[in-house]
Amino acid sequence: MRWSLALKKATVNKMLRAGWSSSATLAVASVVLSLAALCLCSYFAGASPLKVMLSLFEGALQGRYALTTTLSEWVAMTLSGLAVLIPYRAGFFNVGGQGQLEVGAVAAAAVTLSLTAPRPLVILLALLAAVAAGVLAVSVPLVLRLRRGASEVTTTIMMNFACIQFMYAMVTGPLKDPKSWYGTTPPVPAAYQLPSFPPGSGVPAGMWVAALIALAAWWLMNSTVFGLYLRAVGGNRTAAVAAGIPVDRVLTGSVLMGAALAGLAGGLELLGYTFRVAEGWSKSWGMVGIPIALLGGNPLGVLAVGLLFAILETGSRSMQALTGVPAALIYLFQGLPVIIYLGLRASAWYSRWTQAAR
Amino acid sequence: MEGQWWADFVSAVLRAATPLVFCALGVLVCERAGILNIGVEGSMLAGALAAVLAAVSSGNPWMGVVAALGVGVAAGLVLALLTVYLPADQVATGIAFNLVCLGVTSFVYKLLVLGGVQLMAPALRAAHGPGGRVSPVALAAAVTPLTWIALLFVLLTWMFLFRTGPGLLWRSVGESARAAHAAGLNVFRVRSVALVAGSLLSALGGAALTLGWVPTFTDNMTMGRGFIALAAVYFGRWHPGLALLACLLFGAGEALAFRAQALGAGFNPYYYLMLPYVLTLVAVAAMGRAVGPRDAGKPYARG
Repeated sequence: MRWSLALKKATVNKMLRAGWSSSATLAVASVVLSLAALCLCSYFAGASPLKVMLSLFEGALQGRYALTTTLSEWVAMTLSGLAVLIPYRAGFFNVGGQGQLEVGAVAAAAVTLSLTAPRPLVILLALLAAVAAGVLAVSVPLVLRLRRGASEVTTTIMMNFACIQFMYAMVTGPLKDPKSWYGTTPPVPAAYQLPSFPPGSGVPAGMWVAALIALAAWWLMNSTVFGLYLRAVGGNRTAAVAAGIPVDRVLTGSVLMGAALAGLAGGLELLGYTFRVAEGWSKSWGMVGIPIALLGGNPLGVLAVGLLFAILETGSRSMQALTGVPAALIYLFQGLPVIIYLGLRASAWYSRWTQAAR
Repeated sequence: MEGQWWADFVSAVLRAATPLVFCALGVLVCERAGILNIGVEGSMLAGALAAVLAAVSSGNPWMGVVAALGVGVAAGLVLALLTVYLPADQVATGIAFNLVCLGVTSFVYKLLVLGGVQLMAPALRAAHGPGGRVSPVALAAAVTPLTWIALLFVLLTWMFLFRTGPGLLWRSVGESARAAHAAGLNVFRVRSVALVAGSLLSALGGAALTLGWVPTFTDNMTMGRGFIALAAVYFGRWHPGLALLACLLFGAGEALAFRAQALGAGFNPYYYLMLPYVLTLVAVAAMGRAVGPRDAGKPYARG
C-alpha cells in the first residue's frame, strides 16, 4: 500500500516535471522570442521598443475603461481557446470557432430582440440559443467526419465562411436595425445586457463564467474518466477502440463541447461587450483561439495565454496612437509564437532534450 | 443592351476567377504531394503586397509579377522548412503563417504609406474593354494577360500531374509517402518542391488580385479568397480542370453578388457569397472517403 502510493507519487512528480520542462517552457520561450521580434519591428518603425511595450501594457491595463475592454476580450479569447483545445485532445482540429462564435452571437441577438421577459430568463435563453447555434454550426463538419471520413479542417473552414456570410445576411436582412444606414442589428436592450459583477465594478460577468468554465475544463480533462478517454482517442484511435472506449461518442462529446463554448463566447461578447452584431463587429477571436490553444496546452494555460493576447489586442490601439507603430503588428504576435513553438517542438534538438529529461 | 450586360458579366467573372485559379493550382499541387496548404491565404496576401510595391517603385506591372514570384518562393521555403523537414503540424503552421503574413503585410504597408495616401500601382491592362458581344476574340482582348497565363497553367499542371512520369511520382507521394519512400523517392524533396511551387502560384494569385483587378493594397485584402480556392480544389475533386470550373463558378457567384441589386431581385447578395462554401460542403458530403490524395495533411517523418 505504502509502496504503491510512493510509486504513484513518483510517477506524478515525473509527469509534472516532464510537463513543465517540455511544452510550457517552450511556450514561454516562444512568447518571449516573439515579444523580442515585436520590439525589433517597432525599432525598424522608428519607435523606442521600451516605449512600445509600455504603451501596450499601459493601454490595456491602466484605467477602468481599458481594463474592462481587456477583460471582455479575455472572455472571448479564453472560450475560443477552449473551443479548440478540448476537441484537439480527441484528435479533432476545430478551425471553425470563428463561425460558431458569429452564429452564436446572431442567435443571442435574435432572442434578445424578439423576447420580452424577466431579465435573467432572457439572458439565459439568449446564451442557450448561442450555445445551440454553435453546436449546430459544428454538426455539419462533425457528421461529415464521422460518416464520410472527411477532414474536419477544410469543412470547418468552409463553415466559418458560410457562417460569416449568414451573419452578414442576417444583419443586412431580417435583423437589420431600420434606423441604421449600414448592416447592423439594433443594440441589445439595456434591460437585457449582461451587468458587471460585482455590480458597478466594470468587471464583465462573462469573465467569471469563462474562468469557471476553464477551471471546470481543467478538472474534466485531468481528473475524470472522460478526460482520460479524450487523450486515449486523440493519442491512438486503434488502441482506444481495442480498449473498448466508445471512440465516436467521446469525439462527438468533445467537439460539441468545444463548439458550444465558441457559441457561448459569441453570446457573452454580444450581451456584455459589443451589444450589436454588425459588419465587422467581432475581432477574429475564433481564429486566434487556435494559437491560444496550441500555446496554452491545457485549460489553465489557455487562461494565461488568453490574458496575454487580450492585453496585446487592447493595448495595440494605444500603441498606435502613442508611438505610431501600426496596431496590425499585433497579428504578427498572434502567429509568430505558434510557429516558433511548433518549430522548436518538432526539432531534433527538442526530442533529444525530452529524452534526456526522462 | 443585353449583349453588353453579358459581355461585362463574363469579363467580370474571368477577372474574379483569375486569382482563384492561381491559388487553387497552388493548393492542388501541394495536396497532390500530400501537403495541406492552409498557408495559401498568407502567401496570396504577401504576393499582393509585393506586386503593388514593386509595380509602384518600378512603374512596370510586370516587375510586380516578378516580385510576387520571389515572395512566393520565399514563403514556400519557409513553409517547407517548417512542415516538411521538421515536420510541424501542417494545419497549425499554416494558420499561424497566415496570421504572420497578415501582420507583416499590414505593418509594412502602413510604414510605407505614412501620409495615408493609397499607393496606386500601374495595373496590367486588357487590350480594350468588353465589347458589345460575347465572342472569344472580344473576350481574349478584354481580360488581362494574367487570365491567359492562369488558363495556361491549368493546362500545364494537368499535363504534368497526369501525363508525365515525374507527375505520377509526385502524386504517389501524396497517396502514400511511405510507399513512395520505399520505392526510392525523396519524399522531403518532392514535398518541398511542391510547397515552393504552390506558394509561388498563390503569390501569383495575389498579384492577379492587385495588378489585374484592384491596383492597390489594403489590410487583409484577400478576404479569404485563398480559402475559396481551397474550396474550389475540393469541389473540383483535386483535378486541375474541374478546379478551374469550380473557380469560374465561384467567380460567377461573386460577380452576381456585386450585381444583385442591379438585378433587382430583392435578394440578399450575401446568400450568393455563401454559395461556394455550401456547395463545397455538399460536394464533400457526396464524395465520400477515397477521392482526395490519401496522405494529404499527414506529416512524414523518416523511420
